[in-house]
Amino acid sequence: MESILVLTHCDETGAALSKGSLEAVTAAHELAARLGEALSIGIVGSKAESAAQSVASAGARVLSVSGEAFTQPRFASDAAACTAICRAAQPTLVLAPHSSRFGRVMAAVAYRLGGKIDTHIASIGGTEGIEASRWLYRQRIEAVLTRTSRPWFLLMDGGIHEPWSGEAAVPHAEQLAVELPAFRTRFVGFRSPDQGGAGTIRPEAKLLFVAGAGWTKKQPDGQIRAAEAGDLILQFLRLSAASLGSSKSLVDQGGDGNAVLPFLNHLNQVGQTGSTPRHPKGLATCCHGEEPHVVGWRFIGERRAISLDPNCGWTRGKADVVYIADAFQVMARLNALLAKSGS
Amino acid sequence: MSSEVQRPATDVDIACVGFGPAMGGFLTTLTRAWDENPADPAFESKIAPGMPLQVICYERADDLAAGVSGVVTRARGIRASFPALDPTEIPMAAAISQERILYLLDPIGASRRSFILRVADFLLRPVTRNHAFELPWTPPFLRKHDGLILSIGQFNQWVASQIMASGIAQIWPGMPVGSPIFADDADKPAVLGVRLADQGVDKHGEPADGFLPGMDVSARLTVVGDGPVGAVGRALSKRFKHGEEHDWALGMKMVIELPENTELEPGTVWHTFGFPEPEIFGFLYVHPDRLASVGIFVPSSLGDPERTAYRYLQLFIQHPVLWQYLKDGTLRSWGAKSLAESGKTGEPILSGDGFARIGEGSGSTNMLTNSGVDEAWTTGAQLGEAVLELLRAGLPFTQENLAGTYEKRRRESWVESGAQRAEHARNGFHHGFVRGMIGMAVAGLSAGRFSLKSGAPPAHKQIRPFTAGDKSGSTLQQAAAQATAENRPLHDALLSARGWPEIPLDGRLLITQQDALLLGGKVQAMPGFADHVQFLDRNLCSSCFEKTCIAMCSGQAITAGPEGLPAFEREKCVHCGACLWNCAQSSDGEHGNIEFRAGSGGLHSAEN
Amino acid sequence: MHLLLSGAAKNSRERKMPNFFHIVVCAGIAPDPLQTLEPATGPNGPGIKNEMLLPAVLDPWAASALYEAAHLAASCAGSKVWLVSLGPKAKLQQLMMTVAQKASFELIAIDGPIGGFTDAHATASVLAGTISAIAGLDKTKLLLFGGWESATRGAGVALQLTGELLGIADQFQGVDRVEMSDDGSFEVLERVEGGKHLASNCGGAPAVLGWATGNLPEPRNNPQVGMANMRTMMPALQKAKTVALDPNGLRYISVSLPSRQRSTRVVKDLNPDEIARELVEWIGAE
Repeated sequence: MESILVLTHCDETGAALSKGSLEAVTAAHELAARLGEALSIGIVGSKAESAAQSVASAGARVLSVSGEAFTQPRFASDAAACTAICRAAQPTLVLAPHSSRFGRVMAAVAYRLGGKIDTHIASIGGTEGIEASRWLYRQRIEAVLTRTSRPWFLLMDGGIHEPWSGEAAVPHAEQLAVELPAFRTRFVGFRSPDQGGAGTIRPEAKLLFVAGAGWTKKQPDGQIRAAEAGDLILQFLRLSAASLGSSKSLVDQGGDGNAVLPFLNHLNQVGQTGSTPRHPKGLATCCHGEEPHVVGWRFIGERRAISLDPNCGWTRGKADVVYIADAFQVMARLNALLAKSGS
Repeated sequence: MSSEVQRPATDVDIACVGFGPAMGGFLTTLTRAWDENPADPAFESKIAPGMPLQVICYERADDLAAGVSGVVTRARGIRASFPALDPTEIPMAAAISQERILYLLDPIGASRRSFILRVADFLLRPVTRNHAFELPWTPPFLRKHDGLILSIGQFNQWVASQIMASGIAQIWPGMPVGSPIFADDADKPAVLGVRLADQGVDKHGEPADGFLPGMDVSARLTVVGDGPVGAVGRALSKRFKHGEEHDWALGMKMVIELPENTELEPGTVWHTFGFPEPEIFGFLYVHPDRLASVGIFVPSSLGDPERTAYRYLQLFIQHPVLWQYLKDGTLRSWGAKSLAESGKTGEPILSGDGFARIGEGSGSTNMLTNSGVDEAWTTGAQLGEAVLELLRAGLPFTQENLAGTYEKRRRESWVESGAQRAEHARNGFHHGFVRGMIGMAVAGLSAGRFSLKSGAPPAHKQIRPFTAGDKSGSTLQQAAAQATAENRPLHDALLSARGWPEIPLDGRLLITQQDALLLGGKVQAMPGFADHVQFLDRNLCSSCFEKTCIAMCSGQAITAGPEGLPAFEREKCVHCGACLWNCAQSSDGEHGNIEFRAGSGGLHSAEN
Repeated sequence: MHLLLSGAAKNSRERKMPNFFHIVVCAGIAPDPLQTLEPATGPNGPGIKNEMLLPAVLDPWAASALYEAAHLAASCAGSKVWLVSLGPKAKLQQLMMTVAQKASFELIAIDGPIGGFTDAHATASVLAGTISAIAGLDKTKLLLFGGWESATRGAGVALQLTGELLGIADQFQGVDRVEMSDDGSFEVLERVEGGKHLASNCGGAPAVLGWATGNLPEPRNNPQVGMANMRTMMPALQKAKTVALDPNGLRYISVSLPSRQRSTRVVKDLNPDEIARELVEWIGAE
């Protein structure tokens, strides 16, 4: 006998659930259906009741914590809100999106409820019991695990389940009052770094475009064409709305005094010591395709690469298609075609 | 670099340069005596009163486990220091269970063999299996049957762990030493300490972001065990009397995980010669857990200016007698190092005021028995005993005192007697492979009483220059054309033009040289250090046809740059030092045109 | 790797602050990022094959936290940095020879199991207990630093739980920058979705900061720093207490290396125009 609670939170508008939250609702609904158990939904946010409308169709008990204090992420208030919802719902299993907001607090919440937590969960399966799968060692090892402790908290990684979509309706949401301590932390604002980062990182993009160190190395004609490389890449990003990733060596070149692409920083780095973004497609350019970088492609669906090296890592099972060609020439023509088609 | 700059300075009692088997022997001997009696007044620091002896060892490599070389050793000196040694305590170690010597014939027909050798091949063919002839008996001078197979990286790590647990010696990795500090006013060899390499400099060594001038370490005794290409040892050799360091080899090795159904047993040792070229000696040592070290030695006496190692190693492992066991294996690690093969002929002065030299850089390697690790360890232990003697007697580390203790012990030991027997063992190789083998056999079987007496020319003279005739030679021309068309190095194209087959890359065992750097050796370098390979007279480089430095660079860190000048990428350098002795040019008639200085980086794989 | 700092931010970092902090950095061991890893299952559950032999580094984001801590301590006179590290003693000893050259700190070593398959709750319990017992630690001045997520378990749980067990009510994760004011309050930048940072202001210590990469480059190996650290480090390693980590009911059903092989089509015979056309079609297709 389990009882399942899915915790959700509002997005930056405060009035709608975050995409990751909607995905977690789908995951929880599936789990509840599979186990034949009841589902509750908890919502934290400034206008939690209005956000609740999008999940009314799940037919679950809805508990909400709303108010000014929960507009923006903060450890103390979010932890208190989630704890209050858990105490009211008394679940044995708690699902939640592994967003930065919930990632910050959920381990503490699990402790307050006397439970245990596992994070970055990719899927929940299992025939006899509940088995959660996740990646360790920076996406290199896949593990399937289970726990007997209850309540068991599972933070779900985004981009795996479909976001919950159903007819909006006004549910009966139980509003919980939460006793809050005096806060020592207050929200100041959101910041975008001066260069790189927000301009070029687009988690929702259909395509990840990775620029490798070959763009700023000496070309076969002996020249370094960093400025031209930068122009081609930026133009492509603009025309295709792709998200920009980079190999570690390209980001590191800035440190070694070589020509750099000024719009790149370490936030763009994909790979073992960088990020592992999720996109349906990925295009690697001027990149050797070595393992420490390619592990960051774990969650990229279709993969293609453009490289002058017919023996690069991509050609050996790491990409679907590798074009042995000069990326400068291909990207120039690609940009021209995209501009013409207005896409 | 500059001495006008304000440098941090520190004082230690004993400064050690490099951590390898020799230093392992030295520090083990020292720290063990301290463990037995820490209250011994000999261990009182003279520079930090009230503290125990300050013994600091500086090692370039970022990790002590990243040493290069699968090794087979009789381990006499090592066992003297560790009487109860059980190989199972040391990761990747195995007691030798089987030893074979194989003469490899050439199934492909591209190898360059003299007429005599071809005749021998023809006569031997009926008694070969898998194109190899096994010597029915191992000559005594080569036998290692009571010895061990070791991974140097794991052995060093194991030794270091015990040294540091004792608390009296510190071993700092990632700390390359730039140069010795000479006592300028001395009228005999004298060293005051060492200067660490500058950090936070650009590739030319000029101060850049976060400039940290290398610290000056003053020491009562500087122990130099930085190997055959270490910067401090070479600076000492340059300044003081040294032997003729003309004979070299590049050892390049792979660590291969054998297939699950392998029949090779741990403790198996094979020594080979004859393939891919007759002069290239090779080896296979089988460690526990289905790991094997497989490698070759490319000697300086192989005069081909386009000699190379990596592709020859790939061809070596595909020789039928080896390939039957290796073919479904996985490359786990890879590395390369230069071996000083001049033996006693290359021996430098072993001590002076304030310094002593141990290990391979002091000419301890025995070229007859082909062993170096045990000898290096033993010279380190001998210096350790000497230092203990001097500390207990309260005597200073002068040249006389060190000669009377360290050098005396060394000269009276089996290391010296073995070195004397080996002194001329390899001379014949400068006149061809067959003569070399005969010479070695004669020297070995007569224990050095008879040998071919002839000297080795300096390394740069051992490289056969291209002549005008060569350049129009069709093989070379064909190779040059192919190299340009396919954007591959000349030495690689030349091997193909001579008939060597292309390597069938499989992404698992047979991989490109660059992939071996990234996957096998995990080569990388910290930023902020100067280029440690320097081309001295650029004019000599631009007028050089041979450019053997490019062909022999283990990491392909040296490549052809514009205007005939070589380009160096230090992130790819594995610090093998091959460039030092593979330069076909010389401005002083003795040394090549390439200097190999102290720098950061190198191998990062533990399965060495 | 640097984010560009604004001029004002740079100045305030270099001023000497009147407030001091007791910064405790929690950092574990991770295999050197370039190493090839393979899972292996032993009597104690899954692990990495030969993990004890692999070159190890201080967990990368925790190492950033250490360097940030050292930098912060240098600018706030009277501050102190402790490094609490749980791992096999022999491995910690090896590791410290490099780490100790980069920052000044007092080491508190805990001799325990290696690897990311251990239970984060058990780790947190050991860390919290050890930190509570640090002699001379002023909890009102405590900044608990560490990596946001480790390169091994990568869960982002151990540090958070340790903070909770220590009763710290202000926690920040994915931190790239912290900027101190004169009165001991500080502004924190945390990584959030979309490549942005969330800026918050915290009234002061105690607080938990789980760092991402931060701003500072890896400090150079400095032998003087190393030698100064050695005086406390060797004794700390020698008196490291040995702990076992309770699995707390965590059970691994399987661990595997995913197969990564695709059958790659290598295209050598198309010209750039043709390649560009093929790519446009591929990008546009659903």
